[in-house]
Amino acid sequence: MAAPQPESKIIELKPFTDEMIVSMGPQHPSTHGVLRLELKLDGEVVRDAIPHIGYLHRCFEKHSENLNYQQIIPFTDRMDYIAAMNMNWGFCLAVEQLMAKEEGKFPGVPERGEYLRILIGELNRIGSHLLSFGTYGMDIGAFTPFLYAFRDREKILLLFEKICGARLTYNYIRVGGVSRDTPPGFMDEVKEFIDYFEPQIDVYNSLLTANRIFIERTANVAVMDAEMAINYGITGPNLRGAGLQWDLRKDETYSIYDRFDFDVPVGRDIPELGVVSGDCWNRYKVRMDEMKESVRIIRQILESGLPDGPVQAELKAVRPPKGEIFSRSEAPRGELGFYIVSDGTPKPVRVKAKSPCFTALSALQELSRGLMVADIIAIIGSIDIVMGEVDR
Amino acid sequence: MRHYLSNIYLGVYTALVGMRITFKQLLKPSVTHQYPYDRPFEQKKNVRDIPKGYRGKLHNRIEDCIGCKKCEMICPVDCITITTQKLPKGERLWDSMNVVHLKDRTEIIGNIEGDEKPAPNTTVTINTQDNGAVTVSSEEIANVVERKPVIFYLDQFDIDMSLCMYCGLCTEVCPTECLIMFDNLGDGIEYSTFDRTDLIYEFAKPEMYEKPGDESMEAEAAD
Amino acid sequence: MPVGLQSALNPDAMGFENLHQFFVQASENWAQRFAQEHAPFLAHLPAPLGELAIMLACCVIFVAVVPLLPLGLVLAERKVSAHIQDRVGPMRVGPHGILQTLADGVKLIFKEDHIPREGDKFLFVVSPYIIFACSFAVFAAIPFGQSILVSNLNIGIFYIMAISSVVVMGVIMAGWASNSKWSLLGAMRSAAQLVSYEIPIGLGILTVVMLVQTLNMQDIVKGQDGIANWIVFRTPFTFIAFFVFFISAIAEVNRTPFDLPEAESELVAGFHTEYSGMRFALFFIAEYANMFAVSAIAATLFLGGWHGIVPAEMLPQGGILGFVLRAITLGGLIGVVIKTLLLVFVMMWLRWTLPRLRVDQLMNLCWKYFIPISFFNILGVGIWGLIFPTDTLLSIVISVIVIILGLIFTFGVLGKSLSKGPSNSAERRISATT
Repeated sequence: MAAPQPESKIIELKPFTDEMIVSMGPQHPSTHGVLRLELKLDGEVVRDAIPHIGYLHRCFEKHSENLNYQQIIPFTDRMDYIAAMNMNWGFCLAVEQLMAKEEGKFPGVPERGEYLRILIGELNRIGSHLLSFGTYGMDIGAFTPFLYAFRDREKILLLFEKICGARLTYNYIRVGGVSRDTPPGFMDEVKEFIDYFEPQIDVYNSLLTANRIFIERTANVAVMDAEMAINYGITGPNLRGAGLQWDLRKDETYSIYDRFDFDVPVGRDIPELGVVSGDCWNRYKVRMDEMKESVRIIRQILESGLPDGPVQAELKAVRPPKGEIFSRSEAPRGELGFYIVSDGTPKPVRVKAKSPCFTALSALQELSRGLMVADIIAIIGSIDIVMGEVDR
Repeated sequence: MRHYLSNIYLGVYTALVGMRITFKQLLKPSVTHQYPYDRPFEQKKNVRDIPKGYRGKLHNRIEDCIGCKKCEMICPVDCITITTQKLPKGERLWDSMNVVHLKDRTEIIGNIEGDEKPAPNTTVTINTQDNGAVTVSSEEIANVVERKPVIFYLDQFDIDMSLCMYCGLCTEVCPTECLIMFDNLGDGIEYSTFDRTDLIYEFAKPEMYEKPGDESMEAEAAD
Repeated sequence: MPVGLQSALNPDAMGFENLHQFFVQASENWAQRFAQEHAPFLAHLPAPLGELAIMLACCVIFVAVVPLLPLGLVLAERKVSAHIQDRVGPMRVGPHGILQTLADGVKLIFKEDHIPREGDKFLFVVSPYIIFACSFAVFAAIPFGQSILVSNLNIGIFYIMAISSVVVMGVIMAGWASNSKWSLLGAMRSAAQLVSYEIPIGLGILTVVMLVQTLNMQDIVKGQDGIANWIVFRTPFTFIAFFVFFISAIAEVNRTPFDLPEAESELVAGFHTEYSGMRFALFFIAEYANMFAVSAIAATLFLGGWHGIVPAEMLPQGGILGFVLRAITLGGLIGVVIKTLLLVFVMMWLRWTLPRLRVDQLMNLCWKYFIPISFFNILGVGIWGLIFPTDTLLSIVISVIVIILGLIFTFGVLGKSLSKGPSNSAERRISATT
């Protein structure tokens, strides 16, 4: 447990010995799926780490060209399967914005639908960050937080199961609203969960976040400053961990996020702990803080209660006018963009997804140079990739 | 020196805090279920409740299916295959049954006598197949699926559950709500097989119809 | 003494000087007495054969009992980890899964014994046995009772250190012979780690040895009758040394937070990635046997060994009552096993709580923290020995008072003062912002 060494960015070892090329993944316990890293090692020190992706490529974009808009929504579930609600939402938002380009084509999402979208989206954000927290603990070597995180995520999944009938691939948020109304007693169960979960975050913070070994492992490791993050196009908690306050929910409000009061947590320097904004610890910490903010939003929904009314707008057909749209929304892992070109038929001509994990992964190579093998694991965990979204 | 000492102190202290949390957890009962064994012998009692509306195995009440093929069209993975035969002109088979959704999320399948759109403050009698006549107050009813005439012979209605992605779009477009997803443990979830061809469910029952065209079909087969 | 044994004691008659020495040291040996009482014919055998037979009898009993420990410990680990993690652990084989380890063992025996084609076959085959043998040979010198030990060596603790250092050979051989890069990385980490942590362990033992002036394990235990005489409380420095020794011992047996050689999330499985079947099982058994061994050593050196909380003469001698009381006061065979298992439990508890260190941090912890602290302890024990040449009631009372004051100071006063300082304000900032 040494004092932090700010100059430890690149460790120069002389004499320079032979490089050892190690293939980390696609079958490796902590590459979060099927990422393959080609590591060029000098002993334990990583000279270069080249990510190879595509092991989970399922042609989402090409496939979408042969499906109509409702049929694409279940496929967006399979992109970031950890936060499938937010994936649904991002796509539906794009279609809705495209439809709204023509007068009278899209009447707008009903109030109750918007509230449900935010409720479900934030619950899913908590679930996604919980998984990120748990697997990060496991990457660093602590197994217990992983099981705790899954225990709590299970409660969220049960709520989802009640409201939409599925645990992982929800297909819940639709063009014009959401597919189903809440079952009776649902809001009470949400409240029960939130009451249980809020103190639990503090427990996790004292179990893992404040742990000296954990801080040692993650503080000042793989520092990505705001400039580098912007240059790489990195968004979401990874960007906020670099100290930049950028959250689409606040800065480019969509849905009805402007009605809710929440903060955007950012990474910051804590010199006493050796923590530098933009390091692994801050990227991780931003997620822990965001869970609290999501709890705040859900609490506001619980206080105000859901408005009455339909949950889905009456649409004759989902047939956007001729044109194109790029729409983005704040998914748990960053800005999820959808670019859709329509020729006025029920099927899109082109669908392109701008996935946050893909851009985050592109920074891995630069971040990992000169660090150790154990740090690579820490970086992969801290940028929180889901290979389903990277490869699509 | 101060950093050195505080590092030791923090290392020990935070480890002790973590150990306190894990020790507390050690004494608490576990939350996991022993899934296939946690229920009384052979009783299909749920380990936990599978909620109403769960998207499980697909099922078609074939008698009510009117052969509209909407499900086949909406299916993103083309796991439903339907072939139909149009009825001879002027012929009419039967009507599908009503599905009455109550406000407590239960549903009653049967024929509503008389008016299908119940007026407020009346009672509605539903003739069900299993439970006989059931009477409910119209205040409890959320909505009623109208009866629709069966206009096609269904020669084939196959669902390949090994392809299904459980999106539930087909059940949403079904006009008679005869295509459903089971939301219980036994039928909806536990249906794994050793042979994947067993996962192709054939719902069509040609013997349902006393088809006038039976002879012609046989003739076709003979050809 | 039977004739055969007497003749065996005559070095001229036998000419096996080393064997003779071993036999003399083993004169308190329980197996020997067992042989004398129940199998007197052994003693009538010609001189070297009789000794060999007795040693073999020792080994057989010992080798039969010790492998049962990992069997229980593996299950204990799985159950402890499960309950810490809100699970139930193995439940299927036997009631509450008590036969799970046995079932796993049977499964591993029947599994394919895979040897990498490009690997070094001889080293690959031999290395599990080296690790296995070393971890078991350590038990030869650990006293589990007044007469329950295989060999009462006069250099007992030195022998233990020497033997346990050989484990690193097996690990490096396994890593090299596998011809796998992950294994090699694990083996290199292990080599660095084990060699480094030998030093704080040795220094920790040295503090004890300075106090008791002997390397004989039995003699180390003999001075610790009653909790006040336990070495851990005898001076404040041995109190610190106990923790340094115990944490270093965790590193020595490759367990979290020091399980870098087999770090699952980094090196897949480290040095035993390529092993399967019974050879893998040997690594596994050796790991748990090692864990038990180091805990037993810690209990012996610092926590009174087979001496209980209450001095032996205050308890009734003999009979079932005496036996039970002795066990309750953590004395005798049962007492030392309970103490050892408690330490093993703490190891498991730590494993399922803490994250893993990085390689350089591991070395930092050893060289910058444990070794200076150990030197400080040695200095302190030396000075303490000058002030109190013999252990008196006064010295023990002073020591306990100092320990208690030290704890209060560390977690009360120092904690508060540090919390005013930068470090803990950061802690508070963490908790305040979350």
